[in-house]
Amino acid sequence: MADTSEHTGKRPADTRNTGPGRLLIAVYAIFAISATARAGYQTLTKFSEAPLAYLLSAFAAVVYVVATVSLAKAGRTWFKVSLVAVLVELVGVIVVGALSLFDPVQFPHETVWSAFGRGYAFVPFILPILGLIWLYRRRPAAPAARI
Amino acid sequence: MDAYFYIILGVGLLSTLICMAAGIMKKAPNDITILSVAAVELALLVYLVGSIVRVIAGEQIAGEAWEFWGYLATALLLPVAAVYWSVLERTRWSNFVLAAVGVTALVMAARMNQIWY
Repeated sequence: MADTSEHTGKRPADTRNTGPGRLLIAVYAIFAISATARAGYQTLTKFSEAPLAYLLSAFAAVVYVVATVSLAKAGRTWFKVSLVAVLVELVGVIVVGALSLFDPVQFPHETVWSAFGRGYAFVPFILPILGLIWLYRRRPAAPAARI
Repeated sequence: MDAYFYIILGVGLLSTLICMAAGIMKKAPNDITILSVAAVELALLVYLVGSIVRVIAGEQIAGEAWEFWGYLATALLLPVAAVYWSVLERTRWSNFVLAAVGVTALVMAARMNQIWY
């Protein structure tokens, strides 16, 4: 809907919740729900088994929630929040993915980002890349260009 | 894997294929794609009713019961949320959103089967 951007006083183009962005937000929402549920379950039932892995699970869940909400919101500030969240997600999936392969002792338990998201058909690895492409294509115009 | 899983497997995959095809053909969500997602919801409701009957009949869930019901409740919300999200903006991309419901329901049904047995 175009009217959401008018309420915030931004240019109509300064939204990311339209077209392909809607699919991106939907997939992020699915990951936000599943990661939150999984991290909640892990920390409540077996946190002492692998605190580091489960803290990472919880962190990943927060990142997905922030990414989902910020992508759905219009405006320049939310764009920056989205960018940070998606970049953190990309770094996270690469670092945790690599660590889970090279140091299975520290990361013996599955998280969303283990082995580059293999447990989730590698969607956690593809998602931030698609997210960055989408954010780049919908980046806010430079301040000088706005009259 | 039980019959409930295979019903959701069939209905879910069919719904995903229909919605993806419609999206690729640049169509906005229509009766066919929305009804296919409604069929996924119906299949999940059958799973819900069947599970309640089985629990009342005395069958034990092998895994955590609340985890099973949590999955089922979340899965039941997905088609409703996706249809709502897709009718707000009727573009081809909303059909891809609808397409995500079938596969997600399928994965969740597989996990529910693992918890039950």
